[in-house]
Amino acid sequence: MKTIFKYILRIYLKYITKLVLLIHQPTIIAIAGSINKPFAKEAIKKTLENLGLNARANPKNFNTEIGLPLAILAQTSGYNSFTDWLPIIIAAPKRIFTRKFPDYLVLGLGTSNPGDMKYLLSIVKPKITIITDITQRYLESFSDMNELVGEYEYLISRMPASGLLITNNDNARLVALSERAKCRVITFAIKNPADYQARDIKPINTGQKFSFHFKNKIESARINRFGKHHIMAFLVGRIIKNYVVK
Amino acid sequence: MFKRTKNLRLSIIKQIELEASKYPDVISLAQGIPSFDTPGCIKRRVEQALKRGVVAKYSLVPGLPELRELIEVSLAEENMYYDWENEIIVTAGSIEGITATIMAITAPGDEVIIPEPTYTSYREVLCLAGCKPVYVPLNEEKGWSFELKKFEQAITNNTKAIFYCNPNNPTGTIYNKDQLLKLAELAKKHDLYLITDDVYKDFVFDNQKIFSLAEIPELRKRVIRLFSFSKAYAMTGWRVAYLHTDAGIAKEILKVHDSLVTCAPVISQYGALGALEMGEKDVKKFSIEYKKRRDLVCARLDKLSQYFSYTKPQGAYFVFPRLTSPPNPLSFAMRGGEVDSWTFALDLLKSAQVAVVPGIAFGPNGEGHIRINFGRSEEDINEAMDRIENYFKISQGL
Repeated sequence: MKTIFKYILRIYLKYITKLVLLIHQPTIIAIAGSINKPFAKEAIKKTLENLGLNARANPKNFNTEIGLPLAILAQTSGYNSFTDWLPIIIAAPKRIFTRKFPDYLVLGLGTSNPGDMKYLLSIVKPKITIITDITQRYLESFSDMNELVGEYEYLISRMPASGLLITNNDNARLVALSERAKCRVITFAIKNPADYQARDIKPINTGQKFSFHFKNKIESARINRFGKHHIMAFLVGRIIKNYVVK
Repeated sequence: MFKRTKNLRLSIIKQIELEASKYPDVISLAQGIPSFDTPGCIKRRVEQALKRGVVAKYSLVPGLPELRELIEVSLAEENMYYDWENEIIVTAGSIEGITATIMAITAPGDEVIIPEPTYTSYREVLCLAGCKPVYVPLNEEKGWSFELKKFEQAITNNTKAIFYCNPNNPTGTIYNKDQLLKLAELAKKHDLYLITDDVYKDFVFDNQKIFSLAEIPELRKRVIRLFSFSKAYAMTGWRVAYLHTDAGIAKEILKVHDSLVTCAPVISQYGALGALEMGEKDVKKFSIEYKKRRDLVCARLDKLSQYFSYTKPQGAYFVFPRLTSPPNPLSFAMRGGEVDSWTFALDLLKSAQVAVVPGIAFGPNGEGHIRINFGRSEEDINEAMDRIENYFKISQGL
C-alpha cells in the first residue's frame, strides 16, 4: 500500500512541479556533489538576496525524487503519515496560481543511487550548475566509482550550451569531466590554479581570512565561518555574483 | 590490584535501578529515560540504511561525513559555527565524548571544577582519568544559580577546567547568558577549559532561552560542547552523541575517541541523521509533553509541601525537591542537618515501590534531596505520586 502511495505521490508531485516551473520560469541554479552542498547553497542564496533578488533554496535534505518537488512547491513533507500528506497534496497545485514565485531557485540535487540524477533532471532544467566535489560518499549503491561519476557526467551532458557550469578544480575527476561540457565553465579552487582561487588562508578568532584571485584581480576577504569548505562556498557565491550582475 | 578502578563506583542511579529491578510492581522515576519511543522517522531512516547495506562497516573515526555536515548546519542555526571536517566528532553517547575530552585535556592530578548538584557520572569519569573533581555548591536559595566567588575560591594551580551541564541535571536550572559570560571571564583569567554538556537544551520551559558559550567565537579555543541524541530524540539506547570544539582541541580528543571506540555505532549514526533531517517535530512534541508533566509533578509536590520544598525546573525533565522533614524522624538518619537521601530512597523503594535517585548521587550539596524524573508517562507520575503520598501518611501513622 505504502509503495503504491509513494509511486502515485512521486508522479503527482513531478508533474505538478513541471507545470509550476513551466508557468513561472524561474532560473534554476543546481548544486550537486558528494559533500558541502548545503554551504554552497547558503552562500548562493545569500549572494542573490544581497543583490535584491528573490531566491529560494531547498531546505536540508529536500533534494531527492520527493524532496526536490516539495522544495520547489514550498511544501513540507508528510513523511510516513497519510493524514499529513493530504493537505500537502491539496496545497501543491495552488503554486501554479501564486503571484510571488521566486525568480531564482537554488536547488541541491542528491544522488545516492544509479539513475537518481536522470530522474531529477526530468523535473528541473538548471541554467547554472555547481558541482562542489566528488568523493566516495554514497558509493555503496554504485558498482564502482566510475558509475557514481557517471551521474555527474550525465548532469554535465544535460547542461544547455547557454548555461554555466561551476566546478571545483581541486578535484581531478571534476577537471576531466568539465572538459567535456558544451557550456561555459568557471572553476574555483584552493590548491590548484582556477578562475577563482583562494590563497593565503589564515584562521582568525572569528573565522578565516584569505585572498582570492580572479580575472587578474586580487581581493581579500574575511568570513565568520570555519573550514575550507566555506572558502569554496564563498568563491561559488562570488562567481554567481559576478555572473548575475553581468 | 584494580588500582585504577578501586575508587570508581557504579553510578548511584544505576544502583537504584538495579535495586528497583528486584521489585515486581516498581514505578521508576529514577534513571533519566524518556517515556517515548524513538520517533518513526528515525527508525525508517535506519531501516533504509540497513537495506542499503551501509551499516556493517566502521565509519570514519569522527563519524559519517553526511552526519557531521548536517550537525554543522544545525549548529549554525543556533549561532555556533564549527567546521564539520575538523571540529565535530560523533561519539558513542555523550559519556564517551566526556571521557575522551577529559582524557585529552587533563593529566593525572589535575582538578576539574564541577558546580553541584550535577550529573553523577562526571565524577567517575574524572576519577578514571586520575583527576580530582572539585565541587562548587550551587545556591539553592537563588534557584540553584552559580556563585562566581565560590568558583574563584576553588581554583588552584592544578585546575584545568570547569565542567557544567546546562540545563542542569538534576535541578533543571538554566544558567543565563550573564552568568555564563562571567564564568567565561574567569576561565580566561585562569586559562581554563569550559566543558558544557547541553544534552537537555531542547527541553526548556516558560519561554526561557538557552545560551551556550560555544556561540562566542573568541571562546572556541576554550569551550568543548557536548550534545546527545539520547534525550531530545528518545534514543538513549542508541548511544549516539557529538561534541564540537576548536580544531586544535578536537584533534587531540579524536585520538582518545579512536582508542576508546574507533567510531560511534554506524547504525546509530544513521539514526542521528534521521533525527536531524526529520525529527524536529517530535522534539517539539516531547517538549510540550514534558512541560505538562513538569506542571503535573510540581502540582503533586505542592500537595506535599509539608515534606518537600523545591525550585520549579526551567528545563530538562527532573525536579529536585528537598526533604524538609523526614517521614518518620525516629527511623531516619540525618547528615549535616539534612535527611539521609540514600536511606530515604531505599525506604521509599521498599515501602512504596517507587524508585527515585538520592540527592547525594549528584554531589555533597544534593544531600537531603531526591531527583524525580518526570520524563515518565503522566500515568506513571500520578501513580508514583499517589504512592509517595500514601507512604508519608502511613509513616506518620495517619
